[in-house]
Amino acid sequence: MRYLLLINCLLCLFSCSAPYKKMQKSRGNDINCVFAFKPVFTTALYNTQVNVVGKHLSGLLIIKTMPDSSTRIVFSNEAGFKFFDFGFSGNEFKVYYIYKEMNKKAVIKTLRKDFHLVLMNNLNAEDSYVLKKDLQVYHAFPDGKDHYYYITDSLCTQMIRMERGSSRKPVMTAIARDMQQGIPDTIGITHTNFNFDIGLKRIHNYAER
Amino acid sequence: MCRIVFLLFLLISCCSVQAQYPGYKLLSDAGDFKSKFTAASQKTNTIKSDFIQEKELSMLSEKIVSKGKFWFRRENAVRMEYTTPFQYLMILNNGKIYIKDNQKENKISAKSNKLFEQINKIMMDCVNGSALSNPDFTTKIFEGTDTYMVELSPVNKNLKSLFKNINLVVGKKDYAVSRIEMHEPSGDNTIINYINREMNVNLPDALFAIN
Repeated sequence: MRYLLLINCLLCLFSCSAPYKKMQKSRGNDINCVFAFKPVFTTALYNTQVNVVGKHLSGLLIIKTMPDSSTRIVFSNEAGFKFFDFGFSGNEFKVYYIYKEMNKKAVIKTLRKDFHLVLMNNLNAEDSYVLKKDLQVYHAFPDGKDHYYYITDSLCTQMIRMERGSSRKPVMTAIARDMQQGIPDTIGITHTNFNFDIGLKRIHNYAER
Repeated sequence: MCRIVFLLFLLISCCSVQAQYPGYKLLSDAGDFKSKFTAASQKTNTIKSDFIQEKELSMLSEKIVSKGKFWFRRENAVRMEYTTPFQYLMILNNGKIYIKDNQKENKISAKSNKLFEQINKIMMDCVNGSALSNPDFTTKIFEGTDTYMVELSPVNKNLKSLFKNINLVVGKKDYAVSRIEMHEPSGDNTIINYINREMNVNLPDALFAIN
């Protein structure tokens, strides 16, 4: 409860940021510095809270890096009932399973892009550029009409938040906090264009071999 | 030639049935089991138990293990409280569902939510003994040394997309369900083991109250 509240407060604060078009391009900043913040999900289990258009859902989300370097994300409810099972590998995205009621193009597309932002997989560095606003540096990676932004402090010592949007304005914001060996303890995703947020809090000591 | 192929096919089929559940043999006449199981279920008014749930995913070498407490009261009240490694409470009572997770409390009418209606019915059927007569499943009974295995295979398309089959392990001494296995078509499964069971103890109404 407390962590979700914290995530919401942080995201509300950040969602007030000005549209990207008002920002200036910067040439002096190294775009590649953000890759130091790329999470390394060996295997992580998260207690998950989802609020979507007035409905609330909770469950367990597993993120695992597979031996072939692809990433699998599986979401089930607490009793083990599976909602979805997605695979991310380079540019490839695979739906291994999705519960019938959730099997809608828009739902899958939104989740794919949300997790793509957080996973930081296969970001296109060729067309990337850097924007500056006050003391914050926006490391932007275009992908078609979508732009993935990783916002750091001016020296790139801290990832403040992540955003996805167009070249003009954000549509969603995400945070990843308290990294332990490359795995964030808390992840928050909030959409600005409709009522949809995801809160993840890592669970330790869940497994038996 | 055809006869040899047919005999071979028959032999392979028989072997695969025998080997389906190691240590278990398919009961050709399940009448005796069914009557004893139903009689024992009807005598069970309440159950109080601990449970250990194991979620096995084909992509994960470890099992996700959660533990908690379970209460059942005839006809159709269940309280399932997960205590570790997360807190989650689910009460099913007479078609109503109450859920409390880390963040919110939710009250749902089972009929208004297809998923919960199915889960509600399956869970009740498994614990109150009516699973054998549920028309949504075909049933096979296997006999082991100390237990029976009831294999429930879904008939309709909707349930088939969720479960390959649901197996109940039933003790030979008391005909009580000690384990529920939910096998998904993908090969993933969820197994719930009930331990420290106490039958027909007095359970307060408050345990199942949905206000």
